[in-house]
Amino acid sequence: MTADDVPFVACCPDCTERTTATDPNEVVAFYRRHHAVTGHDVSWERTPPLAADVPADPDVDAVVAALGDPDVALGAVSAAASEWGWTVGETLDAVHDRRLTGALWEPRDDHVALV
Amino acid sequence: MTRWNEDVDEVQAVSPDITDETNALPAKYFTDPDVWEMEKEKVFSRYWVYAGHENCIPDAGDYFTRTVGDKQVIVARDEDGDVRAFYNVCAHRGSKMVADTPMTDPGNMGRIQCPYHLWTYDLDGDLRSTPRSFEEASLNPDLDDSDVAGLDPDENGLLEVRTDSIGPLVFLNFADDPPLSLAEQAGKLKTRLESLPLEEYQHARRYVSEVACNWKTFGGNYSECDHCQANHQDWITGIQLDESALEVNDYHWVLHYTHEEDVEDELRIHDEHEAQFHYFWPNFTVNMYGTADGYGTYIVDPIDEERFQLIADYYFAEPELTEAEEEFVRTSRQLQEEDFELVERQYEGLRSGALGQGQLGPNEHTLHRFHRLAQEAYNA
Repeated sequence: MTADDVPFVACCPDCTERTTATDPNEVVAFYRRHHAVTGHDVSWERTPPLAADVPADPDVDAVVAALGDPDVALGAVSAAASEWGWTVGETLDAVHDRRLTGALWEPRDDHVALV
Repeated sequence: MTRWNEDVDEVQAVSPDITDETNALPAKYFTDPDVWEMEKEKVFSRYWVYAGHENCIPDAGDYFTRTVGDKQVIVARDEDGDVRAFYNVCAHRGSKMVADTPMTDPGNMGRIQCPYHLWTYDLDGDLRSTPRSFEEASLNPDLDDSDVAGLDPDENGLLEVRTDSIGPLVFLNFADDPPLSLAEQAGKLKTRLESLPLEEYQHARRYVSEVACNWKTFGGNYSECDHCQANHQDWITGIQLDESALEVNDYHWVLHYTHEEDVEDELRIHDEHEAQFHYFWPNFTVNMYGTADGYGTYIVDPIDEERFQLIADYYFAEPELTEAEEEFVRTSRQLQEEDFELVERQYEGLRSGALGQGQLGPNEHTLHRFHRLAQEAYNA
């Protein structure tokens, strides 16, 4: 697999550090490490075509419902939310908020599902 | 003699004498996940490791977090103006207290408070207060309030991590009884850096890159410049590589580069007419440039055995860079990218398992020192 074939590409707009990944959760891990030492957020540059429709208006629950069977990787949620222009950090914050209201839960590490 | 793994998997410890044929760290120490687990304790929990720059936290209550292996500390300036470090762990039930906070975007807090049950600590780590629920036994029918003894602030404070400094550079040591003081580990590097006005310079840029190789692979590459002629064409312009010198000390080594033409005095922080690149065991470098009035540091931070983060910080007289300084940083970034390609390619080779133990050349004595220190740490 060449770099051009790697499905997930994300980038820090502040310092142009780029990461490529075959698993979208690798991008989430990259964001956490990068944010921890710089405070910067990370944006998606490339994601593969989604297997489900993303609603036009931002709605994390709807994305999880569309992608999750039985759960969905956080990175996949973030990749889908990039269609709304959301960064990785913005998606993780939104998921966090929904978990704290009980709408989402984490059946396994870094995967979420509707309650 | 290079030892391939084709016949017998026979390697030996790094020889004390660089002319011996077993002068390199066996390849498995770069690729084995168990080695990284061992290094967390035997390297990163025993030696002094760089925490950050105290210029970034000038006021009482300013803080940042720093993660080393599995351990995270809060580095904070206390009410007396001292920089101290505490495990980011509450004394109550072990909760992580503050969120990850980079040195480049520090926080400020009057006291350190755990969000879980609101145990609150002074900036010197002493327990300041707990909620009433820890002072009364109203929910426990077996106890009266008078049975509650209360918590001693000193005995129930945060766990402090030993710190020491070289100028504004703050270092940590996680060992209960460190085998070396920072002065002993740094040796001449401490004297040399303390003679410079490092604290007068401000943090200007941080670049963080993830690289697909073991941290020691990059450390070794930084420690020699035999690869520069072939791989850093822009970098070597104006540098007399054949007049460069490699200085080896106990826990650090220095690459001195002489410029072909004398560099104007105002373009460098130090007096010598050269650039000096210091590697400080285990994973920190101080880069004194000959062509920029500023300095840089690298933290070569392992993520696991096959990845590391290079945290590159640049310090100049003013945090807003001139065009020339911007260009200087850009060239430095180019140098890093060129090196990343080299070390990732080297690591692909190492990971193939073909090589049992490599062979260092007679002029790779800095690298030999690096490998010896790793071996000593593993055996300690």
